[in-house]
Amino acid sequence: MDRKNSLGKISSLVFVSCTYLFLYVPIIVLLVFSFNVDRFPAPWTQFTLKWYHELFQDIYLWQAFGNSLIIASSATLISLAAGVGLIFYAAQGGKIGKTLGMFYGNLIVPETVLAVSLLSFFTMIKVPLGLITLILAHSVLGLGFVVPIVYARYRELDPTLTEASLDLGASTLQTFFKVTLPLLRPTLTMSALLVFILSFDDFILSYFCAGSTAQTLSLYILSMIRTGVSPVVNALSSVLLFLSSLLVLFFFSLKTRIRF
Amino acid sequence: MKKQASALPFAIGIPALIWQVLFFYVPLVLIIISSFVKLSSAGKIESFTFEHIQLFLNATYLKVIASSLLLALSNAILCFCIAFPLAYLIAFRGRLHRNLFLFLLIVPFWTNFLLHVYAWFYVLENQGFINNILMKLGMIHAPLQMLNSTGAIMVMMVYYYLPFMVLPLYTSLERFNYTLLEASYDLGGSFFATFRRILLPLSGRGIKAGFFLVFIPSFGEFAIPELMGGDKKMFVGTVVSQYILGEGTGSLGAAFTLISGVFLILSTIALYIVLTKLLQPRMYRG
Repeated sequence: MDRKNSLGKISSLVFVSCTYLFLYVPIIVLLVFSFNVDRFPAPWTQFTLKWYHELFQDIYLWQAFGNSLIIASSATLISLAAGVGLIFYAAQGGKIGKTLGMFYGNLIVPETVLAVSLLSFFTMIKVPLGLITLILAHSVLGLGFVVPIVYARYRELDPTLTEASLDLGASTLQTFFKVTLPLLRPTLTMSALLVFILSFDDFILSYFCAGSTAQTLSLYILSMIRTGVSPVVNALSSVLLFLSSLLVLFFFSLKTRIRF
Repeated sequence: MKKQASALPFAIGIPALIWQVLFFYVPLVLIIISSFVKLSSAGKIESFTFEHIQLFLNATYLKVIASSLLLALSNAILCFCIAFPLAYLIAFRGRLHRNLFLFLLIVPFWTNFLLHVYAWFYVLENQGFINNILMKLGMIHAPLQMLNSTGAIMVMMVYYYLPFMVLPLYTSLERFNYTLLEASYDLGGSFFATFRRILLPLSGRGIKAGFFLVFIPSFGEFAIPELMGGDKKMFVGTVVSQYILGEGTGSLGAAFTLISGVFLILSTIALYIVLTKLLQPRMYRG
């Protein structure tokens, strides 16, 4: 029995390490070569920071980075505001249970289909493609996450808390802002973060709805990759990996869970 | 005691619905309509037609759809085969390091996926990481051509979609009552019987969620096949993006989106039925 157990332990250890190696070998190789003097495929020669230097001087890249930030924050704000509005309506006695199903569509329809449909829609109503269309597209993506997540949490809230508030003489408005909303805050923060990341890293919607004027970070990276291997992209990767690990740490510190 | 909703809350609640209808459902309906419409050169609707649809109903394009379905299905199955043991080990054996494992899983997942495609170039290139190691070990003498192949597409697909499978599985296993498994072992159930009769059926929700989270987006994937497969093989996403972004071929793109959408819906339903059947708890008979 003991031997069987230790065999199981070893094989699970091997399995987990192999999986994480699979996930991290490409990343580590990438990071190592961001510090190499020569361009890949030259082997490792000497340590340098010149690619990082070049990265921070690339104006177009930081413009694209800024655009992605603008798009992601606007899309997050819009979907959060609209989502909270819907919850507010529900909290004031509105019936939204049935209409809620409409928001699950965003998770079921492949992003490519949504992107293609939005592109034809924007072309038809003659909205010029650019930052605005990107924000609209990403906010739809965000709504599909915010509404189901926040509503699920809202349903779980203890109704006696709002009842107590109402019994003690608070108006429905006060109850919403002083009781319901604070209780929802961790879930709201979490879904906002999720939407922000999804939008910031999004490639498919941006690829179709950007037009020729607006460049997002994803599109800029695509053009960099297409022109060939450049260590600047490696340097960018390590900066972005660092930023996303900070965000994931923040996400973990929230200690709330997402349920649909 | 709940008050009847008045006008103001309604006005605050309604924008979400309007937004959703206007930017989600209207465009979807629009793409269905535009696949049946013939446009004049000025962009006006001339007549209704089935021409666009018919154009794609032949062996060439059905093969494209079939290869996308195959790609999506094999991706989902491969991801499941890696993700299930991983989620199991993190949930039941991870203990203190549980959060570290999850953290390490989510960080790449939350970083722009194009950078991962780029990272895999470094690994799979002719002078890349794997070839370098194999040559140094003397196992091969000429570099293996690994990029621009179906294998490279598959590796990248599994790499990118793995967290989509692990996270729902982990969520359902984390809430799983481990004593049920112990009870089964104590009553003499083998590892396989316990897995098949207890673990699988009771984590069915997570398994289904994982399958759909991987299967549906992989079907429309176009960036990974293009970047890793070197345009050798055509998939649904490739064809759609070429027609939609091409000059004056918008309605053809719409028609192909519609056709492949129908295939996707049908195969998703089929997948749901098969999964439900497979995950049913099986009783001892006789």
